[in-house]
Amino acid sequence: MAVFTRTTKNLILKIDEFFDNIDLGLLVFREGVKAYLEKDMEAFNRHIQKVELLESNADKLQRSIENEMITHSILPQHRSEVSSLIDSLDEIIDTIKSSLNEFSIEMPDIPVSLNHNFISIMEASVSAGEELIPAARAYFKSPYTVREKLLKVYYFENETDKVSRNTTRIIFQEMKDLDLAHKAHLRYIIHHIENISDNAQKAADLLSAMAIKIVM
Amino acid sequence: MILLFLTSGLFLGWSLGANDAANVFGSAVGSKMVSFRKAAIIASIFVLLGAVIQGAGASDTLGKLGAVNAIGGSFTVALAAAVTVYLMTKFAYPVSTTQAIVGAIIGWNLFTGNHTDSMALTQIVSTWISGPVLGAVFGILLYIILKTIKKNSSIHLVRFESYIRTGLLIAGAFGAYSLGANNIANVVGVFIPAFNLHSFDLGIFMLSSSQQLFLLGGLAIAAGILTYSSRVMEMVGNNIMELSSEAALVVVLSQALVLFIFSSSGFSSFIERMGLPPVPMVPVSSTQVVIGSVIGIGLYKGARNINFRILGEIAAGWILTPLFSGFLAFFSLFFVRNIFSIDVGRKIERTGDQTVQMIQVTQADQHISEILQYLILGLLITGISAVLLYYFLERKKKIELQKSEEKFWKNMK
Repeated sequence: MAVFTRTTKNLILKIDEFFDNIDLGLLVFREGVKAYLEKDMEAFNRHIQKVELLESNADKLQRSIENEMITHSILPQHRSEVSSLIDSLDEIIDTIKSSLNEFSIEMPDIPVSLNHNFISIMEASVSAGEELIPAARAYFKSPYTVREKLLKVYYFENETDKVSRNTTRIIFQEMKDLDLAHKAHLRYIIHHIENISDNAQKAADLLSAMAIKIVM
Repeated sequence: MILLFLTSGLFLGWSLGANDAANVFGSAVGSKMVSFRKAAIIASIFVLLGAVIQGAGASDTLGKLGAVNAIGGSFTVALAAAVTVYLMTKFAYPVSTTQAIVGAIIGWNLFTGNHTDSMALTQIVSTWISGPVLGAVFGILLYIILKTIKKNSSIHLVRFESYIRTGLLIAGAFGAYSLGANNIANVVGVFIPAFNLHSFDLGIFMLSSSQQLFLLGGLAIAAGILTYSSRVMEMVGNNIMELSSEAALVVVLSQALVLFIFSSSGFSSFIERMGLPPVPMVPVSSTQVVIGSVIGIGLYKGARNINFRILGEIAAGWILTPLFSGFLAFFSLFFVRNIFSIDVGRKIERTGDQTVQMIQVTQADQHISEILQYLILGLLITGISAVLLYYFLERKKKIELQKSEEKFWKNMK
């Protein structure tokens, strides 16, 4: 029995640590994008390294959580859903890492006049992800509160769409001096920042269904 | 020869182990909370303990219904019940061993011209209704309690499920004990009046003649659990409706409680002391208690998920099982007596309130007692070996997994 209690405790700690990694990843992404827009490349590179570490740690935790759930037959009825949830949260940190890497490799030339728009997109998108984490934690401790927490995820995803649509419109309709390749590149970068909130929404949909099932 | 006659009882015990005992851990295994291997080992051990320690109560009531007073009769009655259980299971009816054995005993009473004790019959038949109803009541109450605890305690889901799993193992062990205590009467009850063995001194305690029979029956039930209950266990859980882990615990616990109530003389006298009518010591159908409990939870949740066809099948089973078993016993007794010329029992003479039982008791046999000694020794060795094997297999699996994990991350680097 003691062995089983220890396994349970370890698994709970690992799940919490996994959520912490995603939460921290979102925080680092916010700081990384800000550093890039402020042309502080030293801070930006430090943030990339930090995100890579967090992403690798999240992968290890994901694998370890899934292994423990299978080998110790933990949560047999919710195992596949919990695995899917962890997988979709892992996609968020994967997107964060690939977005920052694209900034680093492609070095998009973002006009200073658009800095505010890019920060708004990034803030809304990251907020969608950040609001998802308490909802995911609540699934394990108070599933009755999950759905109300998810409302904010949907709100910020919607906000991200609106702000990125406006920014894309500005780029293509008002910034006549930019060539088409430059405009397409900026749109591509916006799309990548948006992916964070899109992934958060996908995870929220899954979490919402999981919460209904567990509460019933 | 005596042991040969006992085979029909052991066959009945085997089918009880394969079907009824599957109900104890069925919901736990069906919901994948407990592995079959663990469930089978625990159920086997506790069924044996329940049968030997507390099996006498329900057997007395069954004895009142009809004291089968010849070993040939006991053999035929048990065989008729076993065949009925086998056939009903084959046609996927939620069969009750209790109903089968009751039908077969009444068949014997009719064949030998014995009077069926209407008091005992009423007691038994009333539990066919009160068993599932009590199962449903316990099911609803326990489910509400568990849901309330879950909602208000904010326990982490992983921890909550680990509590549920521990609860399932404890409740399952309790359920298996109660099943052994309550249902062993079905398996070897009919042999008790016609069987006499030397008391067996185990050093710490003595095993009486009937306890040795209970031990044999318990072994047959354990064999049924270990060899054939896996498929039934996996089916039982989700047969009527899909069960969550907490619902599985509630089903196991309510079944254990109902069976315990109907086999505990201590509880009965406690109720009597409170001025209430005593609880009859009657073998109850575990299948139907489980179904009652699952339906209770389903009704609480809104009755949308319940497969109501099962309800019709239970009602049909109440009539079909004893009828079929009774007819089968009656005709089998006819063949056994007239074709094989074996004594299947005779009419018990009644003078006023006194019943003079002309039971043809087989004399105590030293050889059978010796065989039983070897059986107990074999059981102990097998049990300890199984537990050790299980421990080492689990340990090996854990080490292999740990190694593969380390290797994976080493390669990743």
